[in-house]
Amino acid sequence: MIMAYVAQFFWGWLVASLLLGFAMGWISVVQRGDGITGAPGRALWALVGVLLGLSIGRIVPGRFGYWLDLGLVMFGLYLAGCVIGSWLRARVLARAAPPA
Amino acid sequence: MHGPLRWSSKWWPGAILLVVFWVFAAWTSTEPLEGDLAARSNAAVKDAVLDKKRVTVAGRDVTFAAEAFSSDGRRGAIVAVETVPGVRLVNDETRLVPEAKPFVWSAERDVVRVTLSGSAPLPSVKGQLFEAAKAGLGGVEVSDQMGLARGAPPRFDATALLLLDQIGKLKDGKITLSDDKVSLSGMARELGGREAIAAALKNLPEGFSVAANDIKAPPYVFQAYKDPVASTLTLTGNVPDKNAHTALVAAAERKFFAEKVVDNLKESIGAPGSFTAAVIPALSALSRLSTGTLVVSDREVKLSGDALYDAAAAQIRAGLGKDFPQNWQYKAEIAVKPPSAPVDNTVCQQLFADLLAKARIRFESGKADLSPDSLGLLDRLTETALRCPAANIEIAGHTDSAGEAEQNQALSEKRAQAVADYLVRGGLPANRFTAAGYGSTQPIAANDSDEGKAQNRRIDFVVK
Repeated sequence: MIMAYVAQFFWGWLVASLLLGFAMGWISVVQRGDGITGAPGRALWALVGVLLGLSIGRIVPGRFGYWLDLGLVMFGLYLAGCVIGSWLRARVLARAAPPA
Repeated sequence: MHGPLRWSSKWWPGAILLVVFWVFAAWTSTEPLEGDLAARSNAAVKDAVLDKKRVTVAGRDVTFAAEAFSSDGRRGAIVAVETVPGVRLVNDETRLVPEAKPFVWSAERDVVRVTLSGSAPLPSVKGQLFEAAKAGLGGVEVSDQMGLARGAPPRFDATALLLLDQIGKLKDGKITLSDDKVSLSGMARELGGREAIAAALKNLPEGFSVAANDIKAPPYVFQAYKDPVASTLTLTGNVPDKNAHTALVAAAERKFFAEKVVDNLKESIGAPGSFTAAVIPALSALSRLSTGTLVVSDREVKLSGDALYDAAAAQIRAGLGKDFPQNWQYKAEIAVKPPSAPVDNTVCQQLFADLLAKARIRFESGKADLSPDSLGLLDRLTETALRCPAANIEIAGHTDSAGEAEQNQALSEKRAQAVADYLVRGGLPANRFTAAGYGSTQPIAANDSDEGKAQNRRIDFVVK
């Protein structure tokens, strides 16, 4: 409910984040290379975790608090877009090239 | 890792673009969101009874500052803001309005304005008192210096409104309500105002009482002005009641035989005791003046003007006679009118005749005592006699035909003598006057009517 109210001010950006995620997920399946793995990857996830904790704990006040929430929501939708994109691309590839 | 998350390590590059999106989203949405939240928060507490309300929004956090008039009101307002959709946190900067002890409210009136000060318990009561003051006082400027405080006694507003009604009855002064005690000071606007206020204070709501009522009544003023040019006697100011009004105007008409009495008197309560008994002798004294003013203020009688001759001035200065009440004050500022030019005997006779045609010298009924109502006429006769030093004058007394002839004869002689004595006291030589009594032997009108009899009861001046 609250989310629905707040979202009216930036729903376009949320959609953009979702689409960006979808596109990133779509191409990540066929991309070469390993991406960010190991320690840097874990550090990034840890950073997201810390930011999520700050947001849920409502520790950051005022505008920064709002921007943090906004960023995390956009990031969440981005991740959702990535998951959907990767999953769909993986399915499409699996159909196009049936197991030999 | 299984499923789509296998590729999660390759998702990070898109986050760079996401950050750009995020910056734009924050940039464009923050101010509209804050503005909307501020409007909705203000709307949520619009009807709450609060003073100094202030809502500031940063992001989704609302800082709410206000002064509340009760703990419940304060809590209720905070909850109302907290439940506004979209609000994340409420920074509570509310506080309770300070409590006033004692709880003092006052209304003060001076020449130009009414000032309301002290404390009111609620903004609505403050506004109500201000509006009531403006409505009740006509065009008088009302200055609102009231603050807000807790701790008002029960039924404060009804009491304050009742007291505001009273401020309209004051010329100047102050009404103070301190907890449940009322103090009043100042001067009533009109006669009777003090009594009206005292009566209204009997209706104070339960629990309130009058600690001090020092309202003073305005002076009770009566004025009479004798204008020799317009030939009028103007009466202004107050008289106690209808009877006194009639009596005073009738007395003035008897005493001021040559003047038209202009009656601008107003009947009002609050007169000092023995008012009529003091004013009537004062009017007699005024009737003796050529021009003069009589001012009666509370228990003080001031007479000023010009007497017709020296002896009259001395007599008027000396006092107002035995009928003047003891506890009253009398002040006289009497000068003497410059003497008129001497005239010969013929003119002198004519002047006497003219005066006596306008009015007759009156006596106490059946006695030879001069009536105070005739002092003005007697002074004019004396003045005329002073203008013709060569004339020898016969003062002739006449009666009507009622009663026995001998008694009438004796009475007419005594009355003529009383008039002669008055003239001599006025400074004229006694040897110029002959007092003669003719009883009812020389009527000038038929004795068969009251009117005719009244004309026959007379004193004539005959220059010889």
